[in-house]
Amino acid sequence: MSLHGVIAAFADPEALTQAARAMRDKGYRRMDAFSPFEVRGLAQILGMPRTRMPWAVLAGGMAGGLLVYALILYSVEIDYPVNVGGRPLHSWPPFTVIAFEAAILGAALAGFVAMLWANGLPRYHHPVFNAKTFTYARGGKFYLLIEAADPKYRKGLTKGQLTRLGAETVEEVEA
Amino acid sequence: MAEALGARAENAVPRAPVLRGHHDFPEISGRISAVVLQGRLPRFFWAAFFVCFVFVLLFLYSITYLISVGVGAYGINIPVAWGTMISSFVWWIGIGHAGTLISAVLLLLRQPWRASINRFAEAMTLFAVAMAGLYPILHLGRPWFFYWLLPLPNTHMHWPQWRSPLVWDFSAIATYATVSLLFWYMGLLPDLGVLRDRAMSRAGQLFYGILALGWRGSAFHWARYRTVYFLMAALATPLVVSVHSIVALDFTFAIAPGYYSTIFPPYFVAGALLSGFAMVLTIAIPLRWAFAVEDLITLRHMENAAKLMIAAGMIVVYGYASEAFFAWYSGQPYERAMMAQRAVGPYAPLFWVMLFCNCIVLQLLWLRRVRLNMPILFSIALIINIGMWLERYVIVVTGPSRGYLPSSWGEQSLTWLDYGILFGSLGTFFALVFLFIRILPAITIFEVEELVEEKGGGA
Repeated sequence: MSLHGVIAAFADPEALTQAARAMRDKGYRRMDAFSPFEVRGLAQILGMPRTRMPWAVLAGGMAGGLLVYALILYSVEIDYPVNVGGRPLHSWPPFTVIAFEAAILGAALAGFVAMLWANGLPRYHHPVFNAKTFTYARGGKFYLLIEAADPKYRKGLTKGQLTRLGAETVEEVEA
Repeated sequence: MAEALGARAENAVPRAPVLRGHHDFPEISGRISAVVLQGRLPRFFWAAFFVCFVFVLLFLYSITYLISVGVGAYGINIPVAWGTMISSFVWWIGIGHAGTLISAVLLLLRQPWRASINRFAEAMTLFAVAMAGLYPILHLGRPWFFYWLLPLPNTHMHWPQWRSPLVWDFSAIATYATVSLLFWYMGLLPDLGVLRDRAMSRAGQLFYGILALGWRGSAFHWARYRTVYFLMAALATPLVVSVHSIVALDFTFAIAPGYYSTIFPPYFVAGALLSGFAMVLTIAIPLRWAFAVEDLITLRHMENAAKLMIAAGMIVVYGYASEAFFAWYSGQPYERAMMAQRAVGPYAPLFWVMLFCNCIVLQLLWLRRVRLNMPILFSIALIINIGMWLERYVIVVTGPSRGYLPSSWGEQSLTWLDYGILFGSLGTFFALVFLFIRILPAITIFEVEELVEEKGGGA
């Protein structure tokens, strides 16, 4: 039976933020936190680099818009050119309308997929659900998890540190 | 300075709070999820659902009849080849827009009062767009060929006509439906996690567990989630404007008096918001009363929605005025005759009822007492819903009924099928709203909890 880490529950977001900062100052790097809603700034404290999500959204939008515009251009210029009284085949103003819609669609799809991908979701199970004290649903608790894989992790020591930081419960989590 | 001014403004007009009373997190998530998980809904809920279901059957029967007999079965004819199908389409898509405005624009503007109403407003958007999307397809005459609007490789070797507003319309509605669905589902993810963990039955755990995609509220996940959610809101905002502008272009691209008007795109967008907020109130007022969530969906929400209604409504009134003014100012005899025919022609009663609903009744909302009186506000919302449907109908039918040649003038008559499809779609829409309330949390749990936290009332 291997160990995933140790999870500590705190009563409010401020206590969790302070504990996360203190544990980071002690040198812990492999940490995670769980809360019923976003605690602002917590991810930065836990050492998350600046998210690259906006780039995925931008890329999706560009891809959607350009691909559809290229498709339209291919259809009117190469595959099926229709000469209507010498009017230009590449009459771009109406084409931008559909390209715009496609850009929005591409950006939204890319953002959603990138968010799931980067978060490792969908996921069937996660060790944190093994913890008896962990519940996402009850809403009143804020958790800090120190992974056993953290080089600083020492079983009794880490638990003691978390208790001294004001944790209500501290529990070992099986992997 | 700004803060002092803000404080004074608060004192001058004591506004209803966004959340009333004292709450803690377990109470919020418990109360909201209990509606779904315990499923003990009051008897009148199922009675109302049954009534809606009768209309669902009517809708299915009407559609079957329409497809088997053909579009001649409802009131359209030459010269009025566009009828209730098109006006209902514009009306439904407009209703959808208020939901996106609440969920996206108010998120970007960081308005705290959006939190408890955004979920059902988004659901309303989704169902309204689903209804709207059916109309143009049924109107095609041969609905089973609707996919010809897509650039698919096929044996006909043809492409869609990219310069046609009909094709733009298809891309706009399809994009709008997809993005609304993604935005709604993404907003639901954290709450589906709550339902998964609170569900007692195996079926419930499986159902919500699969939908929640393994959400566990990790800080890393939240950070990415928030970024993408904001970006989606930023994408949805221009999308809404583009969708209804394209719907307006369906009309303005026709060089026909009454259709050919540059004011249409902005005035259609404002009309969409007016009718959409009217529908938000039509759903929210009974909802907050029936489920006793008047402390979560407070008078503040109702009042703000009413204020947005009057803001959008005054733009619509301005649109009517400028439409009439430009018809006169253009000096074109056909445009002038068109305007005169609206006021005194065969559709004049509808035109005057529309002006009464959208311009006169709307003015009552200036009074605070009216905005805070739920029965009156509900009645006004219903009247404006009717007025906005009439507006679209008047626009759709008066143009073709009075063309350039008096020899080709004519009106359309409404048959039972017009009513069958309109009321059938209304019933289907409300049946979907009922099912949504039964199956998914109608109030966003995690955002209301965040609001409680900011207010300092947390556990």
